[in-house]
Amino acid sequence: MKWPLADRPVPERQVPLYNRFYLHAPKASHVDPTLVWGTEIDAEALQSFLRERNRAGRVVVTTAHALIRATALALAQFPDMNVRMVGRRIYAFRDVSIRMGFVHRGSGEIDLLLVRAADLKSLEEIALEIWQRLVQASRGAGSRDRDLARLRRVPSFWFRQVLRLYSFLDRRFRLPALGRLDELRGGCAMVNDLSFAGAPPMRSYKPTRFPDQSDSLNLTLGPMESKVVARSDQFMSTTVMPLFLRADHRLVDAYQVGRFLALVRDLLSHPERLDAPADQPAKPDAGAGSTIRP
Amino acid sequence: MTADRNGVEADLLQFVQSRGPRHADVTADTDLLDGGLLDSLLLTDLILHIEGQYGMQFEGADVSPGNFRSVSAMADLVLNQLAAPRQPA
Repeated sequence: MKWPLADRPVPERQVPLYNRFYLHAPKASHVDPTLVWGTEIDAEALQSFLRERNRAGRVVVTTAHALIRATALALAQFPDMNVRMVGRRIYAFRDVSIRMGFVHRGSGEIDLLLVRAADLKSLEEIALEIWQRLVQASRGAGSRDRDLARLRRVPSFWFRQVLRLYSFLDRRFRLPALGRLDELRGGCAMVNDLSFAGAPPMRSYKPTRFPDQSDSLNLTLGPMESKVVARSDQFMSTTVMPLFLRADHRLVDAYQVGRFLALVRDLLSHPERLDAPADQPAKPDAGAGSTIRP
Repeated sequence: MTADRNGVEADLLQFVQSRGPRHADVTADTDLLDGGLLDSLLLTDLILHIEGQYGMQFEGADVSPGNFRSVSAMADLVLNQLAAPRQPA
């Protein structure tokens, strides 16, 4: 049994006033606390870094692994964003753990995995862990795969009742993670790498929120595309990737979201910074940094 | 199980080329990683295909650039694994 959340909630006095407006808004106000911010990263720098890494490395490293590492390093710099709501209280996560969606080749469906303490793992360690899970999933041989297979056999009526009970408890109580299916609640950030071959250009993307309420942040990377930009008074062609962040105004405001996204963008556009050791965290650009502490 | 190099290479090449228009011109020696042609979906499908076709078992550590850089490298991997003595269960 693991307890992903801190013992005590963030004191109400540390929660910014406007976040509290959203936090305590009555349902009748139809409040929408969802914030979405889209930007672009320099894909040439990232691709060049990955090519270099894959020339000499022990494990294949992809954009998804870089996105996980960048998100984890940024969350370590902004601990006030590594939080979730339980009821109307805000709890910090103990670790910087990141969940990722992937295509489960064994079942032909989307599944999720969780990389625990991703800020303390190197890019290669993250890649190795993910490949291990993907290989296991392609065979449908892992213990989680067996749990998912059992869950698929549950009749719709009982599936709904279980989900309702679980959601009720998860929304109201600081629960431990008991098994393989609910361990995904161990992190506040979910990442999607949608830069797969054949994906259409991404102009806008609003990720869904998982019913368990724990993924308060979502970062989605879209496919590469060429773009003409002006640099030093000259027009030139470059390759970019769109990056979208979905956040929750009950937990963070647009200023925090902007600075957090700027750091993730900076890390992906200067991917050599992803190699920063755990005791020397990535330096955010001027203006970034945390203001409140959970 | 026995397999000849040309047969394995042709099988894997066909698998990769059938992926889509970007992969149609891939040859046995095309660098899939440098060309940005090997994403996680294709890599996972290749693993599944090789495991099903040649009875191999991959681990996460086997997903190395050296093993999946090109169709030729993948054929080497398959042939080396098939030639290696089997571990007792």
